[in-house]
Amino acid sequence: MANTQTSTGFGFAALAAAGALAVLANAQRRHLNKPALPPPQPTSPQAQAAQKINLASSLLAGAVLADSAVEHYRGSFHNKAMYLPLAISAQALVAGLQGMVARNAGADVRREASHQLAVVNGAAGLGFHLYNITKRPGGIGWLNLFYAAPFGAPAALSLSGLFGLLAERIRQGGPAICGVMPRRAAAWLTAAGLLGTAGEAGLMHFRGAFHNPAMVIPVTLPPVAAALLAGATVKPCLAAPARWSLRLLVAVGFIGSAFHAYGIQRNMGGWRNWSQNLLNGPPLPAPPAFTALATAGLGALDLIARVP
Amino acid sequence: MREYRDNEAVDFAIVGTGAGGGTLACRLAEAGFSVVGLDAGPWWRPLEDFASDELHQHKLYWTGERICDGADALQLGANNSGRSVGGSTVHFAMVSLRFRPEWFKSKSQLGYGADWPVDWREMWDYYGEVEQALKISGPVNYPWGPKRPRYPYRAHELNAAALVLANGARKVGIQWAPTPLATISAPRGLSHPCVYRGFCVVGCATNAKQSALITWIPRAVAAGAEIRDLAMVGRIETDAKTGLVTGVHYHREGRWRFQRARNVVVAGYAIETPRLLLNSADLRHPDGLANSSGLVGRNLMVQANQAVYGTMEEEIRWYKGPPSLAITEHWNYQDQDKDFFGGYCFMSDGPLPLIFAGIVSGERGLWGTALREEMAKYNHQAALKLVGEVLPDERNTVTLTDETDELGLKIPRVTFSYGDNDKRLIRHAQQRMHECLAAGGARDLWDQNNDTCHLHGTARMGDDPRTSVVDGNCRSWDIPNLWICDGSVFPTVGGVNPSLTIQAIACRTADRIRALAAAGEL
Amino acid sequence: MSEQYPGYDVLAKRRTPSWNEKTRQVIDERLALSREPRYLSQEEWLVLEAICDRIVPQPRTRPPVPLAAMVDTKLFENRGDGYRDYRLPPLREAWQRGLHAIDAEARRRHNVGFAALDTAEQDALLRAVQEGALCDGGWDGMPPTIFFAKRLLPDIATLYYAHPTAWNEIGFGGPASPRGYVRMDFDRRDPWEAAEAKPGREVDAARENARAG
Repeated sequence: MANTQTSTGFGFAALAAAGALAVLANAQRRHLNKPALPPPQPTSPQAQAAQKINLASSLLAGAVLADSAVEHYRGSFHNKAMYLPLAISAQALVAGLQGMVARNAGADVRREASHQLAVVNGAAGLGFHLYNITKRPGGIGWLNLFYAAPFGAPAALSLSGLFGLLAERIRQGGPAICGVMPRRAAAWLTAAGLLGTAGEAGLMHFRGAFHNPAMVIPVTLPPVAAALLAGATVKPCLAAPARWSLRLLVAVGFIGSAFHAYGIQRNMGGWRNWSQNLLNGPPLPAPPAFTALATAGLGALDLIARVP
Repeated sequence: MREYRDNEAVDFAIVGTGAGGGTLACRLAEAGFSVVGLDAGPWWRPLEDFASDELHQHKLYWTGERICDGADALQLGANNSGRSVGGSTVHFAMVSLRFRPEWFKSKSQLGYGADWPVDWREMWDYYGEVEQALKISGPVNYPWGPKRPRYPYRAHELNAAALVLANGARKVGIQWAPTPLATISAPRGLSHPCVYRGFCVVGCATNAKQSALITWIPRAVAAGAEIRDLAMVGRIETDAKTGLVTGVHYHREGRWRFQRARNVVVAGYAIETPRLLLNSADLRHPDGLANSSGLVGRNLMVQANQAVYGTMEEEIRWYKGPPSLAITEHWNYQDQDKDFFGGYCFMSDGPLPLIFAGIVSGERGLWGTALREEMAKYNHQAALKLVGEVLPDERNTVTLTDETDELGLKIPRVTFSYGDNDKRLIRHAQQRMHECLAAGGARDLWDQNNDTCHLHGTARMGDDPRTSVVDGNCRSWDIPNLWICDGSVFPTVGGVNPSLTIQAIACRTADRIRALAAAGEL
Repeated sequence: MSEQYPGYDVLAKRRTPSWNEKTRQVIDERLALSREPRYLSQEEWLVLEAICDRIVPQPRTRPPVPLAAMVDTKLFENRGDGYRDYRLPPLREAWQRGLHAIDAEARRRHNVGFAALDTAEQDALLRAVQEGALCDGGWDGMPPTIFFAKRLLPDIATLYYAHPTAWNEIGFGGPASPRGYVRMDFDRRDPWEAAEAKPGREVDAARENARAG
């Protein structure tokens, strides 16, 4: 019984990984076949947008590094694969930072490879986490969604990789990706990321019974920002409110971590009981995901604003 | 805290501040009545006073002597008798379950036991009030019974001991659920969320457990009630002419005192309540107060609390987390395939070393190297523990002996024997628990036969003064200003832990008292 | 220390968040128990010590749990359980009657007191008490089987497992406040819990237990 479940889990992961690789291989091929466009100037809006999106990629990778390290340590690294996201997110973080300070515009194959690894590892993680949830008594139900491996968390790693790849593409001069303009891809990826992260925060805050009124903020503000951002791709008048909501979200990331720190301190034993409260208490690295996504969204708006 | 003078008659003097008395003190004080709650036990401050040590924490239990006899003489202590402000809720296992609605009319609807003089729909609302007051942590969807509002806080994570029940239940084809518990899974006010330390039944040092001590009592004090701890009430005084109660004699700080009161509520739980009523006998009431029916002290009911233990391949380490994190109420709601009346539930268990050593040695008589070898399996043990309905039987009683305690009060004799229906229920439950535990992967199963939990019935409520002690308002038939509000009033016990029902009855009684007062009938 | 949880000691966690001040006070008192009787007479004490040695035989490789002192303390403080079986007298009387009766039985059988018997004879005598197979019912109306089952055995057994040495032996997590536990799943342990020495992994377990805290 356990063997069947294990192989099913690996199957999920392998399928996800294969799918991701296929998509990326396709994108790679298109990249090689692209018509040569002049690369954007370093100070152009495109370059600035790419920088923001790189920053978003790095922030997400950093959050995943910290979060997966703590959570997988809590899980006693009982499956050796649990070490992987620590390594992959670390190298994705570096790639994102390198992209931010890149002097020469244009893509870098090594950085792209780092981001591709992040995308694949994230997809595999989703498979593993889904397996972890379904193998427990009760399967997919509230109790396991609360306490088993958090389903959506590995998606943050894939998002990091996708943003990183997007930034590289923008820095090249921004040819379309599978027929979608980079500005649209950035906006929709950000919107999707915001909705997913809001959902994850909502699930965890529901588990916490919304015991503090502020806990509704990460459930309400991000979907609003996502809707405005998506709308801004078709209605230019929405760009300004979208920008303001995203800026607010940048702050929410930090404020969220402050709230989470307060939550840890407020638990039994406070900081002195860190060996329990850092693991059981609200996760410090989680809220900055909103800062990361909002930064990417602002980058998307930079690109959108450039097109009349 | 507001304090009342002894010679100043308060509206309500409540004897006992547990699930019944503490809740009632709160609701009456909030309704504007003047209330003094007296408790024989100390007023603990859990964060400072509680140690992580079973032996030391026996200070939470009633240690005054009682004699136990009958064919199935009871064991008392951790399973049923607290001595604290907050009563047994300071040491209880926090299991907070609602009655199956039909049980309130067991006699007319299910053909056994006795009917309660309350309607289940009324109780449903009061259950909701108590669940909100205690922020019960329970599953989003509860598999049994009519629809109920969502539990205020989410259920706790299952420990390995609970996962054994879940796996076993899944294999044998019955539903299970995370147990609704009165300990919080998220912060609440000044309370910390549970840290899964597992010392629940010897006192929660985290203040996560929502006992009466940290919920109803502070509300009562804020509303103007006085709580007098270390105050043992020895006698209720009645007026020779009117027959009404006038107050209580209590022993505090070395001497006897008398608190005047317009009403007295007895809420000492099912042994101390009849003991006090019987000890308050006088010329006008030679058989004790409120005893024209002869039922004070009769119909003592416990709940069957047998368990089955087994050894698992995996490490279970059941000392982590509350002892009963998973439950099945399947046999409370299924009536076929039963050769008995009534119902039962069973839960995972996680006894700490001292209490487990008592079970291993007491139940199996193991000593010597055999004892140490058995105890060495501690971290691989899993268990299922029963809460089973026991039927009322007038031969099960709390009576007075001639032996007295250090205050000169006659101590009680607790007489209990299982009836035939009880034995059939226990046999059925043990078989089902065996199946479930084995299906969960345990081997070398053995039974704990000699355990019961909770106490009820010794001052039952009803709608006929010949067959009950109090009416549906928890007012004694004989003396209109004498009330009883604790587990003693249960006509039947059902197959679930009583704490939620006791608190619901107390909330209802408070509302009844308010209505009676408004109508000038107090 | 035990072979099952080599090197594990709950006392090593005294200054960690697993212990609070109240717990330290309580356990310190227990560890400081005098080995001399405070309630029982010297003769009663010797019988009690010998009985405790048979009910819970302890390895010589570590300091013994002072079981007799703990029972004597229970009697000294008259710390009852809040009830007694109707066939038993109150706590102190039950124990004293029982100790005298067991000693008397030893003299009747072997002409020496219980403490002077060898372990096999002591075990046989205790088994006879447990099974009610004594020649003399002369326990003044206190049934030997009930005294054994409800007083002698549970008192001694539970007191043994109320001592930190016994907690180490069975790998119990020990005191746990303010810090409780994080990992509650099958086969998971927090770093401050005891590591079990699975076959072939004894050295690893010892190393982890040295760090437990």
